[in-house]
Amino acid sequence: MRTLVWCNQRGNSRSFYNFRQMKKFQLGEFEEIVMLTVAILYDDAYGVSIKKEIENRLNRSVSVGALQSALKRLEEKDYLESLDKDATQERAGRPKRYYKITALGKEAMEYTKETRNSLWEAIPSVSLDVKFMQLLNA
Amino acid sequence: MHNPPKLFLKFFRWYCHPRLVKPIEGDLMELYDERVKELGKKKADWKFIKDVLLLFRKDIIKPAEGTQKLNNYGMLKSMIKMAWRNAIRQKQFTVLNLLGLTIGISTCLMIGLYIHDEMTFDAFHEKGDRIYRVNQPFIWGDWNKMMATTGPHVAVALREDAPAFEQITRILSLGSQTATAANSGNRSNAFKENRIYAAEENFFEVFTFKFKAGDDKSALVDPQSILLTEKTMKRYFGEDSAPAETIGKNIEIKQYDGSWKSFSINGIIEDIPSRSHIQFDMLVSLKSESEMMQAHGWKWIWTAFATYGLVEGGTNVAALEESIQALPPKWAPPTAERIFNQTYEEFTEGNPWKLELQPLGEVYIAGSPTGHAFGPTGNPFFIKIFGAIGLLVLALSAINFMNLSTARATNRSKELGVRKVLGSERRTIIKQFILESVLFVLTSTVLALVVVNLSLGTFNHMAEKQIELLPYFQNPAFYLVTGSFILTLGFIAGSYPALYLSSFKPIESLKGKIQTGFKGRSIRNGLVVFQFTISIALIITTFFVQKQLTYASNVDIGFAKENILQLHNVEELGFETEALKNRLASNSTFTEVGKSFGVPPFVYSSDRYKSAEPEAPVIQLNNLRIDEDYLDVLDLEFLVGRNFESGRENDKYKVILNEEAVKNLGWTIEEAVGKSVALASGGEEEHEVIGVVEDFNFNSVKQEIAPLILIHHHNDNVWDYGAGRSFYSLRLNPEAISTTDDLNQLLISLEEEMKQVDSTVPFEYSFMDQEFEATFRSERKMATILNVFTIMAMIIACLGLFGLAAFSAEQRTKELGIRKVLGASVAELAVTFSKEFTRLVLVAILLACPIAWYFVKEWLQDFAYSTPIEIWVFLAATVAAILIAIATISFQSLRSANRNPVDTLKDE
Repeated sequence: MRTLVWCNQRGNSRSFYNFRQMKKFQLGEFEEIVMLTVAILYDDAYGVSIKKEIENRLNRSVSVGALQSALKRLEEKDYLESLDKDATQERAGRPKRYYKITALGKEAMEYTKETRNSLWEAIPSVSLDVKFMQLLNA
Repeated sequence: MHNPPKLFLKFFRWYCHPRLVKPIEGDLMELYDERVKELGKKKADWKFIKDVLLLFRKDIIKPAEGTQKLNNYGMLKSMIKMAWRNAIRQKQFTVLNLLGLTIGISTCLMIGLYIHDEMTFDAFHEKGDRIYRVNQPFIWGDWNKMMATTGPHVAVALREDAPAFEQITRILSLGSQTATAANSGNRSNAFKENRIYAAEENFFEVFTFKFKAGDDKSALVDPQSILLTEKTMKRYFGEDSAPAETIGKNIEIKQYDGSWKSFSINGIIEDIPSRSHIQFDMLVSLKSESEMMQAHGWKWIWTAFATYGLVEGGTNVAALEESIQALPPKWAPPTAERIFNQTYEEFTEGNPWKLELQPLGEVYIAGSPTGHAFGPTGNPFFIKIFGAIGLLVLALSAINFMNLSTARATNRSKELGVRKVLGSERRTIIKQFILESVLFVLTSTVLALVVVNLSLGTFNHMAEKQIELLPYFQNPAFYLVTGSFILTLGFIAGSYPALYLSSFKPIESLKGKIQTGFKGRSIRNGLVVFQFTISIALIITTFFVQKQLTYASNVDIGFAKENILQLHNVEELGFETEALKNRLASNSTFTEVGKSFGVPPFVYSSDRYKSAEPEAPVIQLNNLRIDEDYLDVLDLEFLVGRNFESGRENDKYKVILNEEAVKNLGWTIEEAVGKSVALASGGEEEHEVIGVVEDFNFNSVKQEIAPLILIHHHNDNVWDYGAGRSFYSLRLNPEAISTTDDLNQLLISLEEEMKQVDSTVPFEYSFMDQEFEATFRSERKMATILNVFTIMAMIIACLGLFGLAAFSAEQRTKELGIRKVLGASVAELAVTFSKEFTRLVLVAILLACPIAWYFVKEWLQDFAYSTPIEIWVFLAATVAAILIAIATISFQSLRSANRNPVDTLKDE
């Protein structure tokens, strides 16, 4: 019997990618959403479920192509790892590819969140006072 | 259950990365299934199509190269590794294989370069593919042979009647001229120019010769203009003369009457490439010869002109050639009528006066016409011979490779067994062996390129060539040819071992059952026999070539050609040179001194004569003008009659014939004296025969002795009286000249003697025996090259035999050990061992002798005087071959015979 193992896209060493991405965790807007959704779904994150979750929560349509290419990129960056299982009837016997967030992925998400937070914190309170801004402009 | 659109599903499967295809297809199917339930099939289909198309993006599409290639690569790597390991493990075989192949390929490459060099003459002319030379029948004798020159009027006729030619140009050899750089009356730096031609002003419209100075359009427009090659310029004006500064200076050429005609230098041409069939040192404009052209330009029988035509692109040359056949019957009749008083049909004797257009590329190497007056001609026979030898030597080395590879099969049977057990198909193993042989050929070719580059100098010296290898490396075609050569030879040499070795059954080979099948051995033996057949046939042939050359240079030519010194340029000393002759005759170093207007072996002048009887047929006689003493110099015997005598004034209108001429005139030798001959071209004068001399070779021994008429040098009734070159021939007293110093001393004094008469006459001399020897120059060249190649072939055959003997020694170790234990002596063992191979060589000899006999016979037919084919040559070659073969295997046989049986028998 084949043992199922979580693996990254290349199925081998991560060190090279680690090294390259330590300096700067790169995570696009859509990629971040996908990462977050995978985290939300936790045990049930595969193509269709991720697509539906995003569509429901964010009220925007997601094409299979956009999602799959994002997933592939994230897996190549070692932020996600995958496992094929559950080949069901309605899937014509094709397995589902389940995704899970790696430790590196978690770091990247945290990094992104911190960056945002630090930016939020750096905003002077007055600049968000919309009424005050209108006064200034007038 | 509904299915999505098949076409798009297939499309998706085709483009999708194989790693992603299953899960994504799963997702697509799941979505489709849901949508069918929610929205209906149609909408689901559309959405499916949209998804598939949107999935067609960079991250999802599979990479361009397939993944299969990687696997083959690994196999290739493994094969190369195995080839390397095997080569290293069996060093002796590897070295023998490489050596054999390298020798074979080097020989073949060398020959290939030679042939390429010979076949690509005249390639530097820009319009070369449109240039044709006009050839015509040899109207002075055998009308079936062609000659490369025509009369001057052929060009005129072509210009008039064949508009398909863009240009017609002709050149005329001016023979031998004395020229000097005019330097206010000082003509001491005079040279004899043999390669000086008159050319028309459109010469450079047709041919491409590069100019160092001057302009090719106007170079030959003015009469009295002359062009020099750079080398010639340096000869006259010194090493540091500059082309641009030499323009406008004058060159003076001596005329027959002793006056000097001045030419103005109008251009300096780069030295003529060695691979040009036209070789000249000087060109003068044909207009400078206008008087001569006016007098004789209408003639079709002044066959001294080479006529070239430049056709327009896309011309149908065959049709053009067909159409110009109408010209001779239209234009030539006046020539026949005015000169010979014959009709055109009488003159041609019914033969067609064929004008042949020969492409420039073939002019050098076609072999027909046999030669021309303007430069070198190649010999297609040599090309064929060398080509055949090159291929044979290559075949020998390929056979070597096959033999050695199959012979060592036993050493590799385990490897093959393992490979097969691990799942190797037969095809893979065949591929492996062919790859191995390609690698061997590749290595050998690289080695051969090095070897050839190193030995080209020697080869060039032998073959009198200037071949260089390095320029070929800039030619992409060379790589293509070399590449396909390596692949082809590798494939051929590897195919038999591959088929043979891949047929092993894995179980047997793993169990150690060595397949010494009868089939494999008999093929190997057959190949060895083939190799030796070729080598022995080559040895015999080479032997006969040498023998023939020795024979031909020693053939009795009817007089003693040794010790005859010939002084040239006598005609320039003026017609009366009695004083000089008397001074020479009084010199005790010479026993005889005579004057002649031609010297053997170069008596080419001939004319049409007939017996002075009514209705006598016209025949061709070579003629030679001589004085009273010349025949004494040659020491010829009179069969009947007498020589010219100086006392008798009337003798100057008498003639002497040789035996052959008497026969051709239809007389007997006894009745010849007292009869008369006349020139067929109208002259009324009859010349009485006063003597008949024995036949002697006045031309190369390659030719039969032709009929000859000897004319008195003062005979002014013959049209060429006073014209042409003349010589003094001096028979040396061998006792007076015993050392080289004596000879040098003599030559210096002769030069002074001549300079006293006229200091502008160049001093030139030759020895008659050397001149005869030189007529075999190209044959000698061929013989030397043939020798080298024969040795190569023999070495390759011996390498193969050595390898097989080594293999056999290994196989028969135990057998020989047991024989020794049972009491066989070392000598007996050596004989037992050698017998196997000696038998093969004997079979080869039986095959080689008739083959060699056939080719030698064919070759010797070209010679008028050929050495007899004697049995002893075959015997000698046979013995030599057996000795070489035994010597080759003796090392192995003695080693096997001398081994201690304890060592060979101790382990099982």
